[in-house]
Amino acid sequence: MSDSVDTQPATSKFRAWIKRPYIRHVFLIWLAVTILIELFGPVQAHLMGAPASESMKAIEDTISLFTYAAAPVAALVISVVIYSIFGWRQAKSAGPSDESPAIRTNGPATTAWVLVSSILCVFLLIWGLGEMNSLAPKASSAKPIVIDAIGNQWAWNFKYPGSGNIESHELVMPKDQPIIFHVTSVDVIHSLWIVQLGVKIDANPFRVTLAHVTPTRIGRFSVRCAELCGLYHAHMQTDAVVLSPDDFNKWVANGGRS
Amino acid sequence: MKRVFTALVTVLLGAALVFGIASFLHVSNLQNAPVVAEVRGTAQTAQGVLPHAFIALSTYPDSLAGEHGPSGGSHPDWVSYGPSTDISLPAHSLVTMTITQYDSGEVLNNPYFAKVAGTVATPGDGTADGQMLLDGRPVSQVSPEHIGHTFTIHELSSPSQDNLFVNVPLPAVSDDAMPDSGYTKTPHVITFSFITGSAGKYVWNCEYPCGDGTYRKFGDVMGARSFMSGTVTVA
Repeated sequence: MSDSVDTQPATSKFRAWIKRPYIRHVFLIWLAVTILIELFGPVQAHLMGAPASESMKAIEDTISLFTYAAAPVAALVISVVIYSIFGWRQAKSAGPSDESPAIRTNGPATTAWVLVSSILCVFLLIWGLGEMNSLAPKASSAKPIVIDAIGNQWAWNFKYPGSGNIESHELVMPKDQPIIFHVTSVDVIHSLWIVQLGVKIDANPFRVTLAHVTPTRIGRFSVRCAELCGLYHAHMQTDAVVLSPDDFNKWVANGGRS
Repeated sequence: MKRVFTALVTVLLGAALVFGIASFLHVSNLQNAPVVAEVRGTAQTAQGVLPHAFIALSTYPDSLAGEHGPSGGSHPDWVSYGPSTDISLPAHSLVTMTITQYDSGEVLNNPYFAKVAGTVATPGDGTADGQMLLDGRPVSQVSPEHIGHTFTIHELSSPSQDNLFVNVPLPAVSDDAMPDSGYTKTPHVITFSFITGSAGKYVWNCEYPCGDGTYRKFGDVMGARSFMSGTVTVA
């Protein structure tokens, strides 16, 4: 016996495949789910409040873009699952179905899957590297202000070594001035998270890690610990206060008192 | 019929499990009877004339005098605040708190908490903003080398309630003055004042690691409520 040879052209096979009812159903579900994700998915990027730095703006843009790019892929998986559950549901009266034949060597499917995945991954990689590069500290006429951020169970405190060693339980910064954080901890691992400024970095015991940001908006923002650190981890929070340069200078001249 | 019965039992077991967890969390979050600040007249402050409330707490080298009862509860040898770790304060008031410190201590791991923060002048005792009265002397900080405890109210980054951050270091009683039993006859007495804002809920805790057994003395009392930490209700 010899295997039958399939002589049907690829275009005809594709046309026949696409006319199958389940393909149309899966496509319609995919379209609906994609639209839903595209509409509501990027909302998550804005739940942390309006950005108060270029870093946070870049983070929100990246989250939104990655959500847009991932939506069709996620929707494909979801639509196949939904159709599998309802469209191929086994009738109660029928017994268990026989196992379907294994699918092997489907060249077009494999090629499409690998190609689309590769394009998406390379795109995300290039975008991510570009954003990281744009956030790197730039040569600026403004001299950076160094702030020591110290975490301990369960409070933050901040020192200003270049401003008379002022100490504060609130993080006070001037607008449009580069800030370099020297972050450390005196007990366990914490994580300094200045939410609306897009800074999140571990505070490791007796080691100093660096982070930088330039606040672009005057206001009062949230500082939290983002690393589970014990009984009152949830209460390890304070405010970041961004002042105008003049008000910040007054705050420094006043020894850190408002 | 058997399948229906199995499903019913499964649902009931699940509901019982959820109810059990919810009950446990509810009981574990119940507050003890709080110490309520007593308003005794008014006081002139930088924010104008405000009601003036008074409240007193103590820190002990054991749990025999606090909210755990004369037996000390399950951990009579743990250090504690008393008479309760839950306190209730009036809103928009000047609160003067007195803490009597009976415990010994060691080096504070973060010197920042040896400094007084968030306090205002107490009328008539000679203190200024950012100071406390330590055994009759106004001070703005103490040596971080010999700290018994701290009383630190946490600021919460929340738009729904006013900020309230207060830190007061409580110097240690010297080891020589610590008796073998009972409490020292020469405790430190610390008095300080702060102004409350609108109604809100906060927590306070001791920022000097005074537990044992776990990493950097953050075991026992530092990992349990109602010994060296508690709640502040401003109402």
